[in-house]
Amino acid sequence: MSRGDTQRVALIIPAYNEGTVIAGVIKGLDSVFRKSNYDYTIIVIDDGSHDNTAVQAKKSGAIVIRHLLNSGAGGATATGLSYAHQMGYDIATTSDADGQHKPEDVLKGVNLLAKKHFDLLIGSRLINSRGMSMVKIIGNRGLSVLTNILFGIKVTDSQSGLRIFSRKALESLRWKTSGYEFCSEMLWRADQLGLKIDEYPIKVIYTDYSKAKGQNNWNGINIVKSLVKRRIVEMFE
Amino acid sequence: MRYIILVVLNLPVILLAFMNLVTRYKLGKISVQRFRIQFFLWLIVFVVLVASFPVYNHLSGRPVLDAESLSLFDIVQTTAIIFLFYIINNQRQKIEATDRTLRELHQELSIRFSTGSDKKR
Repeated sequence: MSRGDTQRVALIIPAYNEGTVIAGVIKGLDSVFRKSNYDYTIIVIDDGSHDNTAVQAKKSGAIVIRHLLNSGAGGATATGLSYAHQMGYDIATTSDADGQHKPEDVLKGVNLLAKKHFDLLIGSRLINSRGMSMVKIIGNRGLSVLTNILFGIKVTDSQSGLRIFSRKALESLRWKTSGYEFCSEMLWRADQLGLKIDEYPIKVIYTDYSKAKGQNNWNGINIVKSLVKRRIVEMFE
Repeated sequence: MRYIILVVLNLPVILLAFMNLVTRYKLGKISVQRFRIQFFLWLIVFVVLVASFPVYNHLSGRPVLDAESLSLFDIVQTTAIIFLFYIINNQRQKIEATDRTLRELHQELSIRFSTGSDKKR
């Protein structure tokens, strides 16, 4: 897939029991990036799934890294970025395995990062939240406000799974939490490291499948608890 | 006299905490910001401890704030709380370090088992 001096992009998809949709997500990314000038690789991090996620992903042409133990979304994302760093990729992206992110938005983010030299770019669902349910808007906005209060990071969508990372971010960005709270913690760490963070608007596709798989507001309470605990605990570290 | 016992029992713990803090900072294990926050927290414990007798004198005889002086049990309890605070904080840091090592090990093993690579490209 090498194309001379073009930038190498790792398209990371953390996945847990996504066997029914993962092939479609990989094919979607592949069809969009094939038309681009990037030297891309699709990498699926199978977070200890019980279904055929790994088999389906491999059949679709992705590199599959299987977690020996289920580690949560934060752990799977960390493994993906660590692999991308080890393999010397210039840019890495993470997007959800349930197919809620449009491949075109992933490419748009990669183009933006390459052009404007950000270190961490977040695909925000809430800059233009049309199509999102009110419950999801309130939940996600609430967590973004909390991220701002606890860590001083001003973003509209702190929980978005669509993120683009520069090589500098791949080298230095690490976090401690392994559940969904890593989304906010990652921003905090990036800010501590002085990385350039920005966001861009994206559209999400909510299917019955992604609605069933997605986070509900009760899980949001767990995220709040973990973030507050993390903030307090680190005062003593 | 009892307040002196309180200070004598707790001062070594607080001094140990300060010493650990400075060592960790000098060895580059914690950032300046974290050093300042922790230093400030232990300073509060130190000031409260040292100032407990003058504060008690100041408050005694006043309505609402008037209280019995420290019993020996109070001293033991306060000492235990400060000591436990120190121990818990240290243990938590060790657990976090182990957790991080374990996570990195898991990551690395997963990558190597899945890709069959044992060298960085």
